[in-house]
Amino acid sequence: MTQRASGPADRATYVFAVARTLDPAVVADLDGMTAGEPVRLLPLGSLVGVVQSVPAHDFTDDAWQQRLSDPQDLERCARSHNEVVSASAAHGPAVPLPLATLYLSDARARQALEAEADRFHAVLKRIAHHAEWGVKVYSPPASPPAGAHRPAAAADRGRPAPGAGLAYLERKRGLQLRREQHHEQGLRIAEEVDAALAKLATAARRLRPHSHRPSDTQGSQVLNATYLVAEQRSHEFAELTRALRGRTGASIEISGPWVPYSFVSEV
Amino acid sequence: MSDVDFRTGSAPVPGPPNATLADILERVLDKGIVIAGDIKIDLLDIELLTIRLRLFVASVDTAKKAGIDWWETDPALSSRAARNALQDENRELRDRLASLEEGTEQTEETSRT
Repeated sequence: MTQRASGPADRATYVFAVARTLDPAVVADLDGMTAGEPVRLLPLGSLVGVVQSVPAHDFTDDAWQQRLSDPQDLERCARSHNEVVSASAAHGPAVPLPLATLYLSDARARQALEAEADRFHAVLKRIAHHAEWGVKVYSPPASPPAGAHRPAAAADRGRPAPGAGLAYLERKRGLQLRREQHHEQGLRIAEEVDAALAKLATAARRLRPHSHRPSDTQGSQVLNATYLVAEQRSHEFAELTRALRGRTGASIEISGPWVPYSFVSEV
Repeated sequence: MSDVDFRTGSAPVPGPPNATLADILERVLDKGIVIAGDIKIDLLDIELLTIRLRLFVASVDTAKKAGIDWWETDPALSSRAARNALQDENRELRDRLASLEEGTEQTEETSRT
């Protein structure tokens, strides 16, 4: 523990990712978490870590909580982390570590990461020549009220001016019914899209839909999923997404290629 | 890898260039391989923060970039959504009027013959 002397008090080692091998140049010019300190490689036996020395006092739990409650800082940190992770995976697989994985020194980082070498190798093998693609499905806009689907409203039309209260209630009931039908239709589309894409993918994960609120009916997100897709199938995957867009009428957003963040934790 | 970008000077960065903050956050926060660190950061707290962030967005622009736009469809918060609701009701009323007029025309025609 020779680095102990200059260790805990002033410097901490932030780890972005672990790879088999890496050209230091691909990360050298990136800012990382803190400007002025190079993003560099830390040899870990058969692996390399992509790390950066950061001022320890700026990276305590308290400092993080404070930093990350500021939307702009949160965005900067998340994007910087992702930038370094993505660059690390430019020429071969890299295993991303979650935001804010920190060690008191390079020696401590090496010790902890080398102890997990087997796990890293297993994950690297699994994600080699694969990328992660995110897919979000939004239910199509609610169709205008069709008479066939609304027996209550259809009956209304025949009758001359029913009580205003009753009409209001029926209108509300019809609206509620339409909402429910629309929501169910959205869920069916979500299942259909997920099933089709999962068949093409090596693995699939469901993420929490964004800003879903029970009162959302129009264009609400019905699926937020992510897929591990082999490189040679990525074109096919995009094609299938287009086809599903046409078949279901739903709006389908695809994002990627991501470093397979969502597929490295369970080996 | 087959396609290698040799311009190593400016690091080639894969990953979606137009990724939204929400997309990035849900990956960098609690995904990735978890190895115990020396400095413990409570990611659950951070996740709560991001949820709070979604609810109390300080800046609409940041939120839009993050793909958070529920207020645009919430009639209580958006005049656009309120307008949509009005448009829907208008359309409904017009349909009803048209079907009623159709009915009257038909009775007029039958009474004339």
